[in-house]
Amino acid sequence: MDQKKYAKLEQGITPKPPILKNCIKAFLVGGAFCLVAQFIALFYMTFFDFTERTASNPTVATMIFISMLLTGFGLYKKIGQIGGAGASVPITGFGNAVVSAAIEHKSEGYVLGVGGNIFKLAGSVILFGVFSAFLVALVKTILVKLGVVSW
Amino acid sequence: MIRQLLPILCILLLLSGCVPNEFTVENQTGEDANEAENLLKKDDRIKGAAALFYEDHLIVGVRVKTFDRFNKRKIAKELEKKLKETYPDLSVFVSADSKILTETNKLILKDDAKGIKKKIHYLISLSEEET
Repeated sequence: MDQKKYAKLEQGITPKPPILKNCIKAFLVGGAFCLVAQFIALFYMTFFDFTERTASNPTVATMIFISMLLTGFGLYKKIGQIGGAGASVPITGFGNAVVSAAIEHKSEGYVLGVGGNIFKLAGSVILFGVFSAFLVALVKTILVKLGVVSW
Repeated sequence: MIRQLLPILCILLLLSGCVPNEFTVENQTGEDANEAENLLKKDDRIKGAAALFYEDHLIVGVRVKTFDRFNKRKIAKELEKKLKETYPDLSVFVSADSKILTETNKLILKDDAKGIKKKIHYLISLSEEET
């Protein structure tokens, strides 16, 4: 059996993933996270001195904190099973990636286990986030210096 | 349990969107406030506003329509320019931030005039914060 034949056979047997259904689920779960975050932002705006613009930072911190708690209690993986990308793309997925890696490597000790592996999954997020932020800032600085846009 | 609560939750969430959008103008100066009210009502990108004239200040919080929120800062700037032309004697401040809108509404409903000026200055400094 050559490679092409095998690929054809494999494609015939593998069940087709329900893409549309998954998309709808991810949309709903991701939307639910955003709804909760919106309420938290509203809470910060109503009871503290945050404006719409400044409320985003404490909201993000709170959402990460909630997702870390949910990961520790083992509830986030259940949400992730239903939501798929809807649970991993928002900022809550970042908190989940950090804490689940820490829990996984706890048995190897706190320094080399937890400390060395805590950013195993989230490290790429941080690296490429910082790098793309740098690129965008560079482009914007050049555009501002040229007088195309203003800050 | 969750299945029973879900419809109730949905209805509550849908209804919570029904916040009254209205135009409130409070005038505590000798200026003519009608012009500001007309200007705000004429703009079809705005669905609600609160304006407070106090001593030499005019503070306006506006709620822009959902899809105009992308340009909300630009809209606020435009309105501020127009209002400044109408009231050259007042120091005008317009913001599309919902915090400013709710706080302006609170100031309008406030009974005693003590500390209103301080609060207005505080709101202006609050809206200038970037992070």
